[in-house]
Amino acid sequence: MKKPSLLTIFVSFFKIGLFTIGGGYAMLPLIHRDVVDKHRWMDEETFMDGISAAQSCPGAIAVNLSIYTGYHIAGGTGLVLAVLGSILPSFIIILLIALSFSNWSQLEIVQKAFAGLRPAVTALIAVPVIQIAQKSKVKWHAYWLAITALILIVGFHVSPVYMVLFTILLSWIKYLAKSIRAQKKEDKCSGNC
Amino acid sequence: MLWQLLITFFKIGLFSVGGGYPMLSMIHQEVVVKHGWMTSQQVTDMVAISQMTPGPIAINVATFIGYKQAGFLGAVFTTLGVVLPSLILMFLITFFYLKLRGKGWFDAVLKGLRPLIVGLIVSAAWLTAKSAFVDWFGIAVFAICFFLSLKYKVNPVILMLGAGIAGVLIG
Repeated sequence: MKKPSLLTIFVSFFKIGLFTIGGGYAMLPLIHRDVVDKHRWMDEETFMDGISAAQSCPGAIAVNLSIYTGYHIAGGTGLVLAVLGSILPSFIIILLIALSFSNWSQLEIVQKAFAGLRPAVTALIAVPVIQIAQKSKVKWHAYWLAITALILIVGFHVSPVYMVLFTILLSWIKYLAKSIRAQKKEDKCSGNC
Repeated sequence: MLWQLLITFFKIGLFSVGGGYPMLSMIHQEVVVKHGWMTSQQVTDMVAISQMTPGPIAINVATFIGYKQAGFLGAVFTTLGVVLPSLILMFLITFFYLKLRGKGWFDAVLKGLRPLIVGLIVSAAWLTAKSAFVDWFGIAVFAICFFLSLKYKVNPVILMLGAGIAGVLIG
């Protein structure tokens, strides 16, 4: 592992932030390319641990991964530089869009373009549902939770906050119940067999 | 106002599990339902803009709303708010993750959240559909994009450009 200069860290993440169009997930392979392949700041295994940690932490996954890699590369300073680098491009660009938004958002051509963009957005959000459902091998009977969440959010405007807390609590209790049952079985067995 | 922006986006950052799309349900709840800072359609438009500009959706939405509500400082506060929970929790998780992983309860909670994440994404799709499925053109664009993305994994940026152009020419 080379000792990186602070400027290189910032520039790397700024470039990653600038050139990944289409949301945070698009950033992950680019971070890998820079951090693992190009600069060798981190080995493959440490990076993969970072991805799973970033996915299990709340918030934007690309930001989470920047925090992890930045800290691993150069401690607290590395962390701050990596995060700033990865969010500044989108911050600046959106700021420019917001500044001029009222000038062009009412133009007829823009309105028409958005009429085409909106259903495309819905499609892009809907596709991962199928992919995740296939990939994560969640059993269909587990989807009562997904359906309940949909009804509560769309129909009753219940905040996802409660559902997240409820699900965490429920999974934890289910786990406890399971381990207690397993414990009992073991105790019984050690007496009889 | 600045304080409220910071707190709201801190909450969005803190309770958003599963990244960008599931996060939209949370953003919609806070920004549209609770505070009325944007309409449902404006959030959809914002996602469209996010798909064509760099960076995570959460950062884009935070910056845009912050600026609209309270200028430059507002944008700084919302962006800071949405990143702060990540900073705190990711720091903890980075330290403890290797110890947490393999612990049954931690894995059980992560696994338990998966179906909820699916539910949150479906909700996000549903919420954007309301402003998208206004006519046959909208439904057609949805069907074509859905098919191209699922079957041929067409790059989202290209899909968005195509849909925008179709809107201008046909819509």
